[in-house]
Amino acid sequence: MYNIWLGLNILWETALLAWLPIAVALMLWAVLMGVALGRGGSNWRGGLRVAVPAALGVAVVAFFALPAATQSSLAEMGYWVDWVSLAGLALACGAVVAAYVWPIGAMACRKPAAA
Amino acid sequence: MTPPRETHPLAEVLGDTDRRRWLRGVGAAGLAAGALTLGSAAAVQAQRTQARIVVAGSGAGGLAVASRLRRQLEGATIIVVDRRQEHWYQPGWTLVGSGIWPKSAVVSSNARFMPRGVEWVQEMVAEFDPDANAVVTDGGRRIAYDFLVVATGLHLSYEQIEGMDVAAIGRNGLTSVYASPQAAHDTWRAMDGFRQRGGKAVMTLPSGPLKCAGAPLKMTFMLIDRLRQAGTLERTQVHFHTGLPDNTVFGVKAFNDQVLAMWDADGVQRHHLSRLAAIDIGARRATFVSPEGERQEVPYDYIHVVPSMRAPDAVKNSALAAREGPMAPGGWLEVDRHTLRHRRYGNVFGVGDINGTPRGKTAATVKAGAPLVVRHLSQVIAGQEPDLKFDGYTSCPLILREGSALLVEFDYEGRTVTTVPFVDPMQPSWLAWLMKVRMLKPAYFAMLRGRV
Repeated sequence: MYNIWLGLNILWETALLAWLPIAVALMLWAVLMGVALGRGGSNWRGGLRVAVPAALGVAVVAFFALPAATQSSLAEMGYWVDWVSLAGLALACGAVVAAYVWPIGAMACRKPAAA
Repeated sequence: MTPPRETHPLAEVLGDTDRRRWLRGVGAAGLAAGALTLGSAAAVQAQRTQARIVVAGSGAGGLAVASRLRRQLEGATIIVVDRRQEHWYQPGWTLVGSGIWPKSAVVSSNARFMPRGVEWVQEMVAEFDPDANAVVTDGGRRIAYDFLVVATGLHLSYEQIEGMDVAAIGRNGLTSVYASPQAAHDTWRAMDGFRQRGGKAVMTLPSGPLKCAGAPLKMTFMLIDRLRQAGTLERTQVHFHTGLPDNTVFGVKAFNDQVLAMWDADGVQRHHLSRLAAIDIGARRATFVSPEGERQEVPYDYIHVVPSMRAPDAVKNSALAAREGPMAPGGWLEVDRHTLRHRRYGNVFGVGDINGTPRGKTAATVKAGAPLVVRHLSQVIAGQEPDLKFDGYTSCPLILREGSALLVEFDYEGRTVTTVPFVDPMQPSWLAWLMKVRMLKPAYFAMLRGRV
């Protein structure tokens, strides 16, 4: 329980350091979602078919890029805990990208209007 | 001229003893209505009191305690005494000193973290007068208290090294990561210059209590890594001089042995029972002394100086300092190692580096100890006795090279402690490195705000 609380505080303090770009990013996502929800016919299931591959692609790139981005390297993955942590962070990066691609994909794959 | 005496009005009416008895009654009522909250075993529900609490120091310990006290004790007067405007993230200095972080990453402002509703006296405590329940500042102000939290940090005894000049750090191969953020930055500049050429590097470690006892080891590991990166490790000799006994560079055997094995593999030449006594900065010569008094002059191209450490004069020269036992020579605050309450002055507590405890002069110890100090102080205000036992938790993410570290955690007994699930403390790890360079500073800020 304490570690979860500590983790949340770490995320919060980290976010405080970059609050402006995070706020802009959240607003952009909210706008995308609002537009996709507001427009009739958004194909959310279809959007997933775009978002999930995009997320996986980003996750793969992140998996190889994150160690260097943290001034480390894949050679420093010492044991399974490192690999699992890296995979988890890479998937999280993918999930963030998916959150943006999904509404865009939903709008792009709009269902045709009923005749 | 006698400085004006500042006393609480209630003390003048009731007298000090009656005032504290009254405070206890009010505090007990509040504490009796409270309960432990989830998330921290040390937390208790807020209580009402009119206690007057002085916190001497605004470093990690002082701010963490002040923030928690502000939330915990409704109605209390909390006074933080410290002139410093800058807040230094000291756990990051080895990262600055080895070129991982810029200096700006370890400097912020105390104003940013000073809790609202706390009086900030921007002077230094020059004298502690626990018999009169007062502190005296260097501006001559006498501040009375009902309870005192000593969080002054410690004194770096560079003056014990003949010829040492802190202002010269960064020049002539002289480095020391402990003195300040600027010194850490200058240490990196000197390390960066040295690694281009290689030569003879002398790393030092005194015996006695140190803050972040792992820092001299981290700086040695990072020097080796930087030399390896520059391709000059082969033509460099790294010597490690320590005042500690043979085969000892760290107080926890398992980690000590692992460090020694890694250094042996890297060709580090160790010299034990060898204390840095003097330095000729211009000539790049250091003098080491054995316990028998034999002096040895050692030339170097690069030296990392680690000073011995003690309590600041205000504590060392006061009745709060330990009078006997191993903590007496350093003048450390005489606290009970489990309750962090002063052994002779029951209304005084200590947090952080000033404590005369067997281990733990780290930010991690502050993070573990601050909630306990606040809890115990609250209990004493309520007329109760401290009920928890601090186990001396401390942590030292031991940087091994750029990109890898060991997550070293242990208690007073030197037993390994694991707070992060599945982490193997003996395993060089990217996750431990990631925690050091990305997660511990946000956690530290949350600690200053009293949230963790």
